[in-house]
Amino acid sequence: MKIGDAMVGFALRRPKTVVWSMAGSTLILLLLALLPTLWPGTFPFLHSLRVDTDPENMLPADEPVRVFHNRMKGEMALHEMVVLGVVNRDDPDGVFNPETLGRVFELTEFARGLRWERSGRPAEYEGVIEVDLIAPSTVERIEQAGPGTVSFKWLMEEPPATREAAREIRAAAARIPFLQGTLLSENGRAVAIYLPLTSKDISYRVAERLREKIRELGGDEEYHITGLPVAQDTFGVEMFKQMAIAAPAAMLIIFLLLLFFFRKLTMIVSPLIVALVAVIATMSLLVITGRTVHIMSSMIPIFIMPIAVLDAVHILSDFFDRYRGNADREKTVREVMATLFTPMLYTSLTTTVGFASLALAPIPPVQVFGLYIALGVLIAWLWTIIFIPAYIVLLPAAALENFGRRRKEKRVSAGRLRRSLSAFSLVRFLAAAGRFTYRRSGIVLLLVGLALAGAAWGISRIVINDNPTKWFSPSHPIRVADRVLNEHFAGTYPAYLALTVPEAEEDTETFAAGLSARLEERGKETAPEVFARLRDRVDRWAGEAADPGELLDRLSGYAEEEAGRAATFTEMEDWDEALLFIDRERQRGEVFKRPEVLSAVERLQERLEETGVVGKSSGVTDIVKTVYRDLISGADRDLVIPDTGDAVGQTLITFQNSRRPHDLWHFVTPDYRTAVLWLQLKSGDNRDMEAVVQAVDEYLEDSPLPAGIGHRWFGLTYINVVWQKKMVAGMLQAFLGSFLIVFLMMTLLYRSALWGMLAMIPLTVTIALIYGMIGLLGKDYDMPVAVLSSLSLGLAVDYAIHFLSRTREIYPGAGSWKAAFPVVFGEPARAISRNVIVVGLGFLPLVLAPLVPYQTVGIFIASILIAAGVATIFILPALFKVLEKFLFPRTAHRALICRRGTCLVSAAALVAVVAVNLKQFFAIGWTSLSWWSLGAVIVLAGACFLSSRRDRCRAWMGRRGEDKS
Amino acid sequence: MKKLPTSVLVLGLMASFLPSLGRAEEPVDEQATPVPPVAEIVDRANRVAYYQGKDGRAQVAMEITDSQGRSRSRVLVILRKDDSEDPEAAGDQKFYVYFLRPADVNKMVFLVWKYVERGKDDDRWLYLPALDLVKRIAGAEKRTSFVGSDFFYEDVSGRGIEEDTHELERTTDDYYVVKSTPRDPGAVEFAYYTNWIHRESFIPVRTEYFDKNGEKYREYTALGVETIEGYPTVTRSSMKSLKTGSKTVMSYTKVAYDIGLPDGIFTERYLRNPPREYLR
Repeated sequence: MKIGDAMVGFALRRPKTVVWSMAGSTLILLLLALLPTLWPGTFPFLHSLRVDTDPENMLPADEPVRVFHNRMKGEMALHEMVVLGVVNRDDPDGVFNPETLGRVFELTEFARGLRWERSGRPAEYEGVIEVDLIAPSTVERIEQAGPGTVSFKWLMEEPPATREAAREIRAAAARIPFLQGTLLSENGRAVAIYLPLTSKDISYRVAERLREKIRELGGDEEYHITGLPVAQDTFGVEMFKQMAIAAPAAMLIIFLLLLFFFRKLTMIVSPLIVALVAVIATMSLLVITGRTVHIMSSMIPIFIMPIAVLDAVHILSDFFDRYRGNADREKTVREVMATLFTPMLYTSLTTTVGFASLALAPIPPVQVFGLYIALGVLIAWLWTIIFIPAYIVLLPAAALENFGRRRKEKRVSAGRLRRSLSAFSLVRFLAAAGRFTYRRSGIVLLLVGLALAGAAWGISRIVINDNPTKWFSPSHPIRVADRVLNEHFAGTYPAYLALTVPEAEEDTETFAAGLSARLEERGKETAPEVFARLRDRVDRWAGEAADPGELLDRLSGYAEEEAGRAATFTEMEDWDEALLFIDRERQRGEVFKRPEVLSAVERLQERLEETGVVGKSSGVTDIVKTVYRDLISGADRDLVIPDTGDAVGQTLITFQNSRRPHDLWHFVTPDYRTAVLWLQLKSGDNRDMEAVVQAVDEYLEDSPLPAGIGHRWFGLTYINVVWQKKMVAGMLQAFLGSFLIVFLMMTLLYRSALWGMLAMIPLTVTIALIYGMIGLLGKDYDMPVAVLSSLSLGLAVDYAIHFLSRTREIYPGAGSWKAAFPVVFGEPARAISRNVIVVGLGFLPLVLAPLVPYQTVGIFIASILIAAGVATIFILPALFKVLEKFLFPRTAHRALICRRGTCLVSAAALVAVVAVNLKQFFAIGWTSLSWWSLGAVIVLAGACFLSSRRDRCRAWMGRRGEDKS
Repeated sequence: MKKLPTSVLVLGLMASFLPSLGRAEEPVDEQATPVPPVAEIVDRANRVAYYQGKDGRAQVAMEITDSQGRSRSRVLVILRKDDSEDPEAAGDQKFYVYFLRPADVNKMVFLVWKYVERGKDDDRWLYLPALDLVKRIAGAEKRTSFVGSDFFYEDVSGRGIEEDTHELERTTDDYYVVKSTPRDPGAVEFAYYTNWIHRESFIPVRTEYFDKNGEKYREYTALGVETIEGYPTVTRSSMKSLKTGSKTVMSYTKVAYDIGLPDGIFTERYLRNPPREYLR
């Protein structure tokens, strides 16, 4: 490799230049990221570090579901909420005793005042939105107060003085469907206060203030603070803990393992320097380019670190095995690099491709994650190639004393003996493994076949599911609060179902024609003259008005004027009748006042509750029913939707005489054309939300809502489902794409499709086994698991590359696999094993992270690496034995067949890569794409056949074949 | 129904008074316009706002506009009669509120018997024609939304001056600025309110309500004043709820005073049978 020689040559000639340029460039990047973060505002042209813990950002901001979600949140004045649950398990009346309710009252009063001026923006406030605060002392109750009398009052006007009064509050609250299961638990042991926030980024501050207040209050009650915004803020805190604990821990473990294998402190510092530089440079670039530190990007350091060490370990391992005493260091380095440059280039490139393929997943944080790790891997590669040689030659001679593997260890100290023994056992183990794969290749391949069959069964059992709350470990306060509150209440996971009437039911012309007919009809009953004049106007204006609303506006303007001019009382009354008629026409569009519509919504709600996932749903229907019941009798038999539209309208206007009339507009828009059902789910699992979505779709398919009402979901629980779906599909395609690219690279590297396939086998088996295990263990296929497929692809292929490259080097000298395998199972297998151990264990500190996704990633990456290592060391040699004839062709004919096969397979793979990528970027349907692809493959195959028939090619093939034989 | 001649005098509130509200205060020449005691200011303002004539009628159009600019309207007729024959008395009153529109609440009626005695709840009845239902509302809370608008019942019927203690905060060229603090803070949602009372007409032109944190959260403004039958009358006013961003504008038309409304109208009997001749 000429470039490799040139790079290493430069590093050896100008080692100091290399060291200084590395230190300098890294420092500049670090400063560019650090300065604006430490002194914000001083460097307006630079980006500062920004943290983003919002799961919504898993989807791009312009994703339709997010746009709709935000629009509906605005329209229905819905806000993110902090939920404060108060539980009293000891009192016989639960929370409904004077002391607890007194504290709840005090907390509510305290929460009302949790507002402050936005920093830097005087007169703009942020904090708790008092008018929408839901607490016993901020919600109303309507009840019977003697015959013919109703009373409206606060549910809890003031803290009750007696147990009796406290129990009375419970009884009153339990009667109100909106409150039961939301404000209070059915068993009376818990109440919840809902604190809507002006923006979710202040939730941590609000939660902290609440905790302070709670400490002041005393008492035996349990308090649980939850709600999505709190979870997110907490997540941000935990994320940094992860970076502060897990990344250094990984560094430490790698350091200890390197020390164990190579024993020389001064030598093993170099890979750690490369790792540190790669991490600092990548993270700085992340900040400099204005990316946020998100749940995904916070994992970048922990990924780069082991990968960065990987190549350096190969160099050290080889150098360690070759270097003897006072040998010429420079010469040894050159030899090592000559052997390793190509495999290292390819392993780095394949790792890069594996991560970069994540850029094809339609999830911005995953894209950033993949691209920046790819960048980090390249940075690590560059410095490994030039810095490690420079570092080795710069070391004083004394530092290298005693470095290198010695077969005959004389100076025996206890520690060293143990180490040598382990090294020895690794040697022995590998030699035995080599023999086993040679003698029992059939058994090895049979076992692999069985394992794959088991994996296939496991994969078929994979359950796709995620739940951001479960990203916290089960003992985390957020999870505890979640569990306790879901035990007591109808559900803490909100989802919203928007029911909307399509915009234009009728165009102006049709409406005008209908209106004219209705006017005629009404004119027969009363005031014929007035209605005739109105019809006249309708006919005249029908063509001019832009929409039915404008026509009615003009009509009522006209009627008002005429009413003002009326000379007699009768005439005046007639015009009043006309105005009333026009207004009624206007109200025809108020779909969600129609009893039949409300009844249909009520049935939908019943269906929702049958799913078992929805603890409760609330809507305008519940407001209507509750107010109606309390106006009529207060008895539950009257908890029904009244049977006329006017009755609904009058019930609703009565509701609006309350202290919280605006509550209505959380459930229906003032034009009564959009209504929202608020669902409380018992579980935030995507799978459960999906089941609800499906149940609703099926139900509405069978019994559609009247008036053409359409339905659409929003709310974070639903958004999670959407991004999960995109992620699963996106990841699969990203994986397919990068699999094919890596395969092409391997084919190119070895100039043979067969060798290319061979290189893919260990990682394919590994991934199959890992995902099979996930299916068998019943672990949900969630975000981290999905990301792993692409990661393992880039990492696991490394071992195969090293193994195959070294084998190809060794084979011609040995002449047969029988003679070659003992050599292959010497130094090359040792380098791979050391790598598996160092890197695999290097990921394990992620288990220390407080967040579950990090733990998952840590465990699975470690298992993937170990599985890939084992697969490489056992499967490849077994295949070598079986396929030796094809892998090392001895006749011209076979070589030609191999060539043609390579050309054909590469062509097909190339076309597939292009197809997969086109599909990602242009969203073309598979059918048309397949036809095009098929055509392309045939054309390319023809080209393969023709080109292989060229004389020059034939001659070359022949010669090559003869050389071999 | 007789048509009363209405002499209309627009005081030009928008043009002349309102900008001066925020103007720097100048020392007032006490000699030229003697400042009456605060009790008298408050009493006169209360009469001007709620006790013009012995009885009265107005058709009110309400336009409620929320923070998103969505609006809805109500049209209703308010009949009022003072209990006392004495024109000087500012005592108990009765209100009959009849809904014309929206169409689905047509013929709905509220009947209110207002008591000025401190702490005494008003009596209120509700008639819902579509439910064929008359209900008395017990312990009627006065500070709840008036049919979904930003006005409270008390803003429509008037707040008893005995409910608060009043102090004259300052006097500007045009206004007495009176700060009123509730005697029973637990019964109301505000901590205090300030009232800009026009010095000549005694019309409250602006009222601002403050909460416990001293923050303004509600604001009433008189937008237009006409003199009708000799009585200065607010014909357009607005109420803003600063916490919800909602605003209601009330426009008074067909205003008439001293129309001789019989007492009998203001009884339960008339809820189902509206006195049509007085509602036009």
